[in-house]
Amino acid sequence: MGKYDILVDEMEAKLRPPTIGLKPYEPKVIPLTTGEDMLVRTATREEAEMVIQGIKVLLDHQKDFYDIVSARIVAELLGMLRYRVQDEYLLIGAVDGEIAGIVNGRMVNEKVGMSYHTMTLKRGARVGAQLFAAKMEYHFDFMNQDEVWIVAESPNGFKRWMIEYELESRPECPHELGGVPTFVLTRALWEKHKANKNVGIRPAFEDVLEANKVVHMPETINV
Amino acid sequence: MEQMYAYKCTKCGKLHHPRYVVCQNPDCDGREFEPVPLGGKCKLLTWTRVYNLPEGYMMPWLNFGIVEFENGVRATGQIGFDEGIESGMELVATVGVVRTRRILYKESIDCEEYGFVFVKP
Amino acid sequence: MRQVGIVGVGHTKFGKTNGTFLDMLCEAALLAMDDAGAKTGRKNVIDQVFVGSMGSGMVNRVSGAASAVVDSLNIRPAMAETVENGPASGASAVKLGVMAIASGMCDCVLVIGGEAMREVSGWEGTDFVATMLHPTAEYKYGLTLPAFAGMFTRLCMERFGVESKDLSIVSVKNHDNACHNPVAHIQRPVVLERITNPAYINATNPIVADPLRQFDMCPVSDGAAAVLLVAKDRQDELGFGKKPFVRVAGIASATDTHVVANRENPSDLLAVRLSAEKAYKMAGMGPEDIDVAELHDAFQILEIEEGEEAGLFPRGQGHIAARNGETKVGGRLPVNTSGGLKAKGHPLGATGVSQIVELVRQLRGEAEGRQVEGAKTGLAVNFGGFGNNVVSTILTTK
Repeated sequence: MGKYDILVDEMEAKLRPPTIGLKPYEPKVIPLTTGEDMLVRTATREEAEMVIQGIKVLLDHQKDFYDIVSARIVAELLGMLRYRVQDEYLLIGAVDGEIAGIVNGRMVNEKVGMSYHTMTLKRGARVGAQLFAAKMEYHFDFMNQDEVWIVAESPNGFKRWMIEYELESRPECPHELGGVPTFVLTRALWEKHKANKNVGIRPAFEDVLEANKVVHMPETINV
Repeated sequence: MEQMYAYKCTKCGKLHHPRYVVCQNPDCDGREFEPVPLGGKCKLLTWTRVYNLPEGYMMPWLNFGIVEFENGVRATGQIGFDEGIESGMELVATVGVVRTRRILYKESIDCEEYGFVFVKP
Repeated sequence: MRQVGIVGVGHTKFGKTNGTFLDMLCEAALLAMDDAGAKTGRKNVIDQVFVGSMGSGMVNRVSGAASAVVDSLNIRPAMAETVENGPASGASAVKLGVMAIASGMCDCVLVIGGEAMREVSGWEGTDFVATMLHPTAEYKYGLTLPAFAGMFTRLCMERFGVESKDLSIVSVKNHDNACHNPVAHIQRPVVLERITNPAYINATNPIVADPLRQFDMCPVSDGAAAVLLVAKDRQDELGFGKKPFVRVAGIASATDTHVVANRENPSDLLAVRLSAEKAYKMAGMGPEDIDVAELHDAFQILEIEEGEEAGLFPRGQGHIAARNGETKVGGRLPVNTSGGLKAKGHPLGATGVSQIVELVRQLRGEAEGRQVEGAKTGLAVNFGGFGNNVVSTILTTK
């Protein structure tokens, strides 16, 4: 049993969220400009635990809002591991067994996705942009949703996505992350931009899958 | 509509854009110019589509080009359409808002600035 | 004319500075002074300090940078001026240093170039750099330096047959060189196939200013570099006798139209050509004497076109030379052994001085993994504006 596995009695069963049934995300390989291959795949429960431990060092890192983002990711992943959030997922990008970035979110219902966070641990190789696209791909092309609600703590990345994907402003829409003004990636916008934003090679190369079968957090996080 | 101008040296007749202080003809030293409306047909010499725009522009991209008017004057401006931009194509220069400059006083004031927007004939 | 040369060089690690803008300038200055053996306080022999910076006032809210540096370094009452010439501020500061010594007004001049651009967001930085464009004919439209580089690249593609891949080849070379330069911002190789393969090019190497892609242009960096200039006739007396004297054989600048559209041929870089011609003339040399060159590749197309305009390659043949590997270390004429602006980084005001630091390292034989064997004479081209104010410098140990 893992750290967060508990006996599911009648009360615990009542506390756990329902599910619409998460479909598997087919791993893909994204060639980075460095010449390295990044594997994007779903994280296991053990890996989610590892991410929680690994990003705790960022809790006091105010710059670029890493503190709030890391605190929220810790809370979200705990919620996922302890079954207190409905249909949450965690995707990781990994290079040679080292986690380069993480993205998470959840399904509100069959039609609406709720984007949570994108965190880059290996900077300067467009990891964040690639992972953000991969997460949108999961919502639209795997879960077949109609739209994804997006907000962000850090103006930097968000501004880029908001502008590059021409996100629709829907301030009346209550996003879970504090109800700050929400932007929406609709299916029409996704179809318009995905050819340029969403790349990856499938099926993933065997050697890259193998190299990232067991992953670890970077020794030092320099963001 | 706002009007854009070329500036004609009153001494040698050379047309300029933008406005200069001294005539750019190496053999002339004119310092007075008369404005001549500049617009209409022009030819696109080169162009680009820029995705990383400076602070203040909230759009995914903008197209820019350098054109040459029939009177030989050249100008740089925005291109007002996306499809089928090609070097050498014929365009028409119109005038539009090319920037909204925010001036921060106690309350901020948005000041619209006009310039060339090239469109298909 | 009095002979002027370099006896000390200093260079911070380009990238992101942890300290303040002024600390960064001082760090580079002390590295150069220590390299030469220059003393501070009562033993100071520096007559004049020039600081080259484009945006210290605009970006860092620091004016009077040179005066502040002189005080921090305890070399008062040395004369001090801050010099601004856009991205060519660094080489302009060096030029003024050479002029100060050549004129006889000074015997020893410290020149520092520096910029801390990462204090502001990318959007603000882009806007700040764009302020060097013509205010009403260019800047007002939202035009940026990458926009002009994009339009310029398209003209060169149509005129000379330069291909997108040629720009990538230059980029990969410069990244390779930077892996051997400990002060480079990005010390990481780039694989050509990864930034050119049509299957995923838009993700790994997205278009920034069509036809320019991300790897066709430099990153945003902080950094500072410094050189100590002395008069040959006072080198021993001032205590620098033991250091190799790298002579500034020629240094010159030239200007071109501010409005790019108004150049007779907008795909020519007239100010590069004229400044290089003047520098060659002053040095009594020609392009055939150059063993190594640092060319201002804020955009990869500029490395190609500057090389041609400076006479290193026939007009229209620069991209062919790059394709053939002639500009690699070990090639016929290595260009941007430092990694260039592409990989070493481009902290505007620092760049011109940084290029000269690299040439000094090459001519002294200290360039280690990127050393050009037997290099005796080097050329640096520092490009200001979009080519409307360019400084060319020739250094030699001959």
